[in-house]
Amino acid sequence: MAIIQTENLSYVYSEGTPFRKTAIDNINISIEEGEFVGIIGHTGSGKSTLVQHLNGLLKPTSGRVLFNGQDINSSKEFTRTVRFSVGLCFQYPEYQLFESTVYRDIAFGPKNMGLSEKEIEEHVLKAADFVGLKKEMLNKSPFDLSGGEKRRVAIAGVIAMEPKVLILDEPTAGLDPQGRDTISDMIDNYRISTGSTVIVVSHSMEDVAKNASKVLVMNRGKVEFFTGVKEVFSNYERLVEIGLNVPQITGIFIDLKSRGYDVRTDIYTVAEAKKELVRLFRERGALK
Amino acid sequence: MIKDITIGQFFPGNSIIHRLDPRMKLVLTFIYIIAIFLCKNFLAMGTMLLFLILTVLLSKISLKLIAKSIKPVFIIVLITSVLQIVYNNKGITLLELGRLHITTGGIFTAVFTTVRIVALVVASSLLTYTTSPTLLTDAIERLFSPLKIVKINVHSIAMMMTIALRFIPTLIDEVDKIMSAQKSRGADLESGNIIQRGKALVPVFVPLFINSFSRAYELAFAMECRCYKGGEGRTRLKEMKLAARDYIALFAILACCGVIILSNRLITAPEQYSNILDSFLRFVL
Ligand SMILES: Nc1ncnc2c1ncn2[C@@H]1O[C@H](COP(=O)(O)OP(=O)(O)OP(=O)(O)O)[C@@H](O)[C@H]1O
Ligand SMILES: [Mg+2]
Repeated sequence: MAIIQTENLSYVYSEGTPFRKTAIDNINISIEEGEFVGIIGHTGSGKSTLVQHLNGLLKPTSGRVLFNGQDINSSKEFTRTVRFSVGLCFQYPEYQLFESTVYRDIAFGPKNMGLSEKEIEEHVLKAADFVGLKKEMLNKSPFDLSGGEKRRVAIAGVIAMEPKVLILDEPTAGLDPQGRDTISDMIDNYRISTGSTVIVVSHSMEDVAKNASKVLVMNRGKVEFFTGVKEVFSNYERLVEIGLNVPQITGIFIDLKSRGYDVRTDIYTVAEAKKELVRLFRERGALK
Repeated sequence: MIKDITIGQFFPGNSIIHRLDPRMKLVLTFIYIIAIFLCKNFLAMGTMLLFLILTVLLSKISLKLIAKSIKPVFIIVLITSVLQIVYNNKGITLLELGRLHITTGGIFTAVFTTVRIVALVVASSLLTYTTSPTLLTDAIERLFSPLKIVKINVHSIAMMMTIALRFIPTLIDEVDKIMSAQKSRGADLESGNIIQRGKALVPVFVPLFINSFSRAYELAFAMECRCYKGGEGRTRLKEMKLAARDYIALFAILACCGVIILSNRLITAPEQYSNILDSFLRFVL
């Protein structure tokens, strides 16, 4: 059974005013346990709105969201328990830190779960380790950290609840290349070592191509594609039409192909690209 | 939830009411509110109501929004009406329940108070619904600019108001976002007694204040970078100019005032209606 499923999910902002805006429209998706889903879509396509439904922060205007087959809005208590199983980390989460020390901020979630002091400590240390925060950082004030460090603390705050489904809304936005890589690696590590489901909203086609097992493409509040990485990125024209793109490296191969070189176009990572180029050069006798 | 607040909200449009000069709108609203309280008879009240209804229709603001603006004062209206009906014993008694007398005088006053409060709220909401906050503060600055003579820095006050108004929606958005984020970490903001709820708000207000302060600094820097140095010698991109429609509007409201003054002199006040009704009833019985 799917761990998360939506049925005809729609949401309208500011219903009943002239600013009425349908943010997502009739979404039907189902996500299996252990999957890594990448969500892409142009700005304002409804990605953030969609993920806020998955842990019950927004109540659907129409339709339902199911967690393990049960409607997450069926009762207040259930919504609250779902929030511990579906951990959502917002876009720019560093603006939500509030405690006096990093340790206490990360402990906020586990404390709300009602864990004992000992369990809380275990969870916090484990989460801090996952995101690569050093021990001595834990006693600092979160406001004295750099932007990237704050981001890690915020993500650790969600991971510390050890959710079965981890949702991150643009976790790497505004970070330096190294920060982007470490955070996306750390998310993948989390998934592999805990077997959790991970959903990541991202504007980086590279990140999505590298990690995701399935890609959800949103366009103007509707689902455009929801399939495997290869299937999605093979629709180059359509993706460009809706304001997206394929990974840069894939673009190069599509370009090479259109210039008459016999190359594959389903290349998404630099490693694959290297292999394919070496093959091409070999065939043409340029490499021994 | 917190998003449903419509106070001071602006709904862009292109109706004639939107296009009125904001200074004129401000003055007209002011005159209108005073006039509402001078009405002493049904003719005057009817005229003022008609004027308001026409303005609402001309503004093309949906009636739903108008109804929304009245909602917050509904309780006040209800309480004052009930008090009037219970305690005002003028006129003839229509119903007697033990010590409770329901009289014509009470009912008239209740109706008048209700109409007054509703008209007051609708008129002032209409002002903010149809005027952008920037134009509104601009208008205030100009209307009060004579106060410069007594060394009141009208420009700074107006600028502060503009900034404050500008950031209300931003802050509401932010509260909403922070609350969502903390709820995602299992914060329970909706149950428990007052003390527990107060405590639960700490995770919301700490980041809110911190972000507001840093935003205030950033805004100040941004303004300085654009050479903002206060109002001295500042010129404007758009000069406000009164058009024919502004004079027509002024004329219309003055005409309404004329009706009020005349009718107040010529027609008896509602308290006296009850006397007439009284003698009429006596005559019939
Ligand atoms: N609080 C809100 N009130 C009204 N409209 C909103 C609100 N939040 C989002 N919207 C609108 O809903 C639509 C979808 O917004 P959403 O934030 O889900 O987009 P997104 O795909 O996450 O975009 P981005 O890539 O910029 O984060 C947008 O058109 C936006 O204008
Ligand atoms: Mg978003």
